[in-house]
Amino acid sequence: MKSFFRRFMRPIIAILVIYLVFLLGPIAGLDFPIIVGRIQESPKMLVQFLIIGLANGAIVAIIALGYTMVYGIIELINFAHGDVYMIGVFTALSTLSVTGALTTNNPVHLVLGIVAALVVAMIVCASLNVGIERLAYRRLRNAPRLAALISAIGMSFIVENIGLIWAAQSWLVPSFGTTGGGAQKSFPDLLSKIMISLNLDPNLLASTGLGLRFTIKDLLVIVLASILMIGLRFFIQNTRLGKAMRATAQNRDAAKMMGINIDRVISITFLIGGGLAGAAGLMAGLYNNTAWWFMGFRAGIQAFTAAVLGGIGNITGAMLGGFLIGLLAAFSDGYMDARWTNLWVFAVLVLILIFRPTGLLGEQVGEKA
Amino acid sequence: MKAEIKLALTMGLLGGVVVFLFGGWSVTVLGILIGVFMGLSIGGRVNKKDGPRKLALQSLSTAGIAAVVFIAVSLFQNYVVAPAGGQFPSELYIVIPANLIGGLGMILFTALTAALHGLPDRQERLGKLILMVVLVIAFPFIDRITGLHWSGQIIFALIFVILGLGLNIVVGFAGLLDFGYAAFFAIGAYTTGILSSPQHHIFMNFWLVIWIALAMAALWGLILGTPTLRLRGDYLAIVTLGCGEMMPIIFRNLTNVTIKEPLTCWIIPGIMRLFNSSAATKCITIIDNLDLTAGEKGINPIGRPYLPFIGEFQSNNPIPWYFLIILLILLSVFLIRRLRDGRLGRAWMACREDQDAAVQMGIDPVHTKLTAFALGAAFSGFAGAFYAAYIRGIFPSVFEFSTSIIVLCIVVLGGMGNINGVILGGIIIMGADRLFLPALKDLLKGLMDHTILPALTSNHTLQAVVAQNANPILYRYLLFGLTLVIMMALRPEGIIPSAQIRAELHADEETSAVEKAVKN
Repeated sequence: MKSFFRRFMRPIIAILVIYLVFLLGPIAGLDFPIIVGRIQESPKMLVQFLIIGLANGAIVAIIALGYTMVYGIIELINFAHGDVYMIGVFTALSTLSVTGALTTNNPVHLVLGIVAALVVAMIVCASLNVGIERLAYRRLRNAPRLAALISAIGMSFIVENIGLIWAAQSWLVPSFGTTGGGAQKSFPDLLSKIMISLNLDPNLLASTGLGLRFTIKDLLVIVLASILMIGLRFFIQNTRLGKAMRATAQNRDAAKMMGINIDRVISITFLIGGGLAGAAGLMAGLYNNTAWWFMGFRAGIQAFTAAVLGGIGNITGAMLGGFLIGLLAAFSDGYMDARWTNLWVFAVLVLILIFRPTGLLGEQVGEKA
Repeated sequence: MKAEIKLALTMGLLGGVVVFLFGGWSVTVLGILIGVFMGLSIGGRVNKKDGPRKLALQSLSTAGIAAVVFIAVSLFQNYVVAPAGGQFPSELYIVIPANLIGGLGMILFTALTAALHGLPDRQERLGKLILMVVLVIAFPFIDRITGLHWSGQIIFALIFVILGLGLNIVVGFAGLLDFGYAAFFAIGAYTTGILSSPQHHIFMNFWLVIWIALAMAALWGLILGTPTLRLRGDYLAIVTLGCGEMMPIIFRNLTNVTIKEPLTCWIIPGIMRLFNSSAATKCITIIDNLDLTAGEKGINPIGRPYLPFIGEFQSNNPIPWYFLIILLILLSVFLIRRLRDGRLGRAWMACREDQDAAVQMGIDPVHTKLTAFALGAAFSGFAGAFYAAYIRGIFPSVFEFSTSIIVLCIVVLGGMGNINGVILGGIIIMGADRLFLPALKDLLKGLMDHTILPALTSNHTLQAVVAQNANPILYRYLLFGLTLVIMMALRPEGIIPSAQIRAELHADEETSAVEKAVKN
């Protein structure tokens, strides 16, 4: 009798869990008949959601890189990272506003404005991230890990508050009808504007007659994200500093004995992570056309989920995880219920941490809490 | 002597800052409170053998200096700041008795509390207890007589004190970082809401519901804890964050719940269709279109507690609510102290210090952590039930991440693992959030409108920018964030530390001190 139970325990539990998912899933939009029905109805939509998912996933992946690099080196969840990205969105918006790109119709002016916004956002976010490390994390490097994590949460609140105040400055952030710092601000769709001013259709697939949308926005996000990822990979694999970073991630003490300046390497890690977050900020602003002081929290959670999904500390994993999370969100928005999308992202985060904390591509990360 | 003058000046100014914001009768209340506080701090440094009378006399000089500073600030507020902010200064018949009672109260209570130190240990403890009880009981009545209306906000602070006490079990005693504590608060509140609101046509008695809420929160602690507590450290923190964030989403969206039995509704028909059979099965619908939480609109009104002689608790009379929450806190503190000192509490701390060693000693880590998680959650069920009944309506946005972090702030500020510390932390944090910031906002707004902005008339854009940003409520998150960062950097063990946590947090300083000693 006992061996019977032991043998069939796991399948029985598995069947029970699957039944429960079938029973309760529809409440949160996971209704298989409806999903299958919608996919059958228009398979074209699946391709469309794939495109949206890829572009959003690229942004998530870029943010996730910042989490994973920092975790790889000092085993700290830099909780403020999502909020640094939010500052990136606002920096980009303010730069565009100050350079006059928001009001012009001249394509050259627009392109220059966007390039300037990219550079400024990257610089501001990189310095902010380095500053956060100096102020909040450096002196806690040898303290219990939870102390650093609490400090990170505190830093995240501080940066969010900076974003809230920033959003309230009407002379920095054009409001387009919405007022007050708490409201979502609109981020103008400048890329489509460039295309229209050049007499081109923003939808690149319009002439193919497939009825799919692949706009200039999708193209820019995917191309820019790919450039950044390839550049980062090259930097880490092929330069002296990248080597120092990998050595520090492997064993901090040994790296120190080899003459690597640990503080400098950690600062540079935060610098690169912040720069990437700034770039992601500009991309997200141009792609999703909103700026909100609280957007960093959700984006941060999504990106962290992506980093964990791919295997935290693993840079390729973060890219993969980012795309998967982007696809999941797009799929949930499209076929399930947009109200519940965040729940599914959190569910993936919880499940992956519980059942496979090393992630999809992760090596064993030491658990020394 | 120098230290005493410093103490007197700090205390006098500290009280003065608060009086600065409220004016009027707040002088009296604060004078007494600060007197007690000062007496307690003086007591820590004096020679116990001197006896009560001598100690009281010794403290008089300090108390006197503090009272003079305090009254000076109070008068300055009344005659300089209030007019600058566009308010009329209080009338003389309020100013004189308020300041007189406040100043004298400060001196008297300082001397009294200081004198208590001179008594033998047992009497000293008894004396302090009586003093505390008298103050706690007298507070709402003084508040009402003086017309300050602090009670309503203090009740909020006390709700968060219970939350802090519960989280303290998880974070302080068991050393499990929980970023999703608001989830259990939400469960307690929604249980109360659903079971005692006309929206669902269920009207259960509050005195019963509060226990159901407690049990539900504990049950969900078990359900969420069972799979997650295998993780350690920061991974656990993130998982609890994920679970905690799922709750508001769930409560926000449970507006049309339909549950259909899947086998009969689509699995069997689907298989049949595959085999081209046309036999139909009857679809069993368990729940059809139930609006459980009403989404953003929230559940309201919610039933209120009822007692003979007092009747139903009303929102315009905070006194019964105040005593109810004080009772709940006392009950919680009693239970938590018993738990802490018992076998279970020691197991928690052993797991916190070194899980592997604790396992070697025969402690079951999963069971230990799970009880900590569930019991911690149970107390937030208390808080949730009280909150729902007190506010009379609950909305999903109250239970988001920031609430979890505010509670964490309370525990971190007060001192992880220390019950008194958490109570103090809760009152400081929530007092700052609910009383201090709004009052500061009004004061600044008054000053801006009447004094500062007119001085800037030449520059209208600057005027607008200054007016817009001089709103302290905007900087709320900054306050919480700074609390966490500064506490972690300077005093990770909190205001009133527990001895063990302090030793743990400063472990590497000790080793480095030893290393230095060896080198020399």
